[in-house]
Amino acid sequence: MEKHETELITFKVQRYDPEKDNEPHFREFTVPSSRGMTVLDGLIYIKENLDGSLAFRTSCRMAICGSCGMLINNYPHLACHTQIEEFRSNTLTIKPLPNLPIIKDLVVDLIPFFDTHKAIKPYILRHDAEEMENPTTEFAQSPQALETLLQFTYCVKCGICISACPTSASDKLFVGPQALAQCYRYCADTRDEGEQERFPIVDTDHGVWHCHLAGACSEACPKGLDPALAIQLLKRRVVSRAIRLGRKQQPSSKVPPPTQTKPKVPFPEFTVKGAK
Amino acid sequence: MRNTYLWFVQLVTGVLIAVLLSIHMVLMHLDAILGFFGINVNDPTSWHSMIQRSNQAIWASLYIALLVVVLYHALNGLRNIILELTPSVRTERIVTWAIIVFGIIVFVWSSYVPIALLYA
Repeated sequence: MEKHETELITFKVQRYDPEKDNEPHFREFTVPSSRGMTVLDGLIYIKENLDGSLAFRTSCRMAICGSCGMLINNYPHLACHTQIEEFRSNTLTIKPLPNLPIIKDLVVDLIPFFDTHKAIKPYILRHDAEEMENPTTEFAQSPQALETLLQFTYCVKCGICISACPTSASDKLFVGPQALAQCYRYCADTRDEGEQERFPIVDTDHGVWHCHLAGACSEACPKGLDPALAIQLLKRRVVSRAIRLGRKQQPSSKVPPPTQTKPKVPFPEFTVKGAK
Repeated sequence: MRNTYLWFVQLVTGVLIAVLLSIHMVLMHLDAILGFFGINVNDPTSWHSMIQRSNQAIWASLYIALLVVVLYHALNGLRNIILELTPSVRTERIVTWAIIVFGIIVFVWSSYVPIALLYA
């Protein structure tokens, strides 16, 4: 069996406790690193063995939840998706994501980020509210139609694109690549009719027109999405609607629902008695 | 909607600059090559030929058109850059009006001579 060597890696972690510190400072930890170990593993090692007060966000450890976005050696990464070996260095500098307010240590405040995401109405909108609530038919969507937006559905809302974006760094009101890409994702959906509701939110001085196409969001995205492309496609869509040129999106056809469906699974009982 | 048109016109003026500026650059700097093809432009950078061009409606209008599209393209770009650093509606309005006034002044200042020469 191959023997894995353990190497000692210095983690320079930015610490900041708003109750005690006036400004962020760095603390160094020495972490034994073996092959295949991720930066998140290193941080968990620090929290378990060296300093329990270190705060960072994590959940799934497999690049699905988007919790552990942080600045590793001055580039935004998901800590769980980045191996220590990748950096070929004995020192790792770990900071919280820039362009977002710090809550503590490596934890940043994502509430403004989620608020912007919510503001662009990231769900299918239809003119017919009654049909939307109680559907009588289903939508048929071709694989080709799905392909136009599929990559943008993989967004895990980690905030890495926002922290990589030079426009978000200078313009605090900028909607940001994440929300703009999601706006495109829903507008491009053949089932959706919500363009008129979403466009006023992104068609502003601090909206889609402020993207300078630096492409940093696409470069940094840990899920391999191309938000910069989505923003350009969104610009094209907004302009073609304004000047009434370009192809109209074909609405998806409706198909009758399957004749036999399984009954819905009943809502589970609350395990905590008295909870509602 | 206003921003959509501002951006769309930015695109259109970009294309127009590519065309009009190419005409200008070819005329000004490639006169030797134009001469090879039998087009004699008679030392285009001299004062005399400049005045002569300004007297012709086609050249004067081409140059005024180039001035308009360059002014729009440059000042709208400048406005975008400044607005990125001014996160308030009031400053945005001040910036927008300052840029419109600046653009008008530069336009009148630079188009006065060719227009005056045209009617001279």
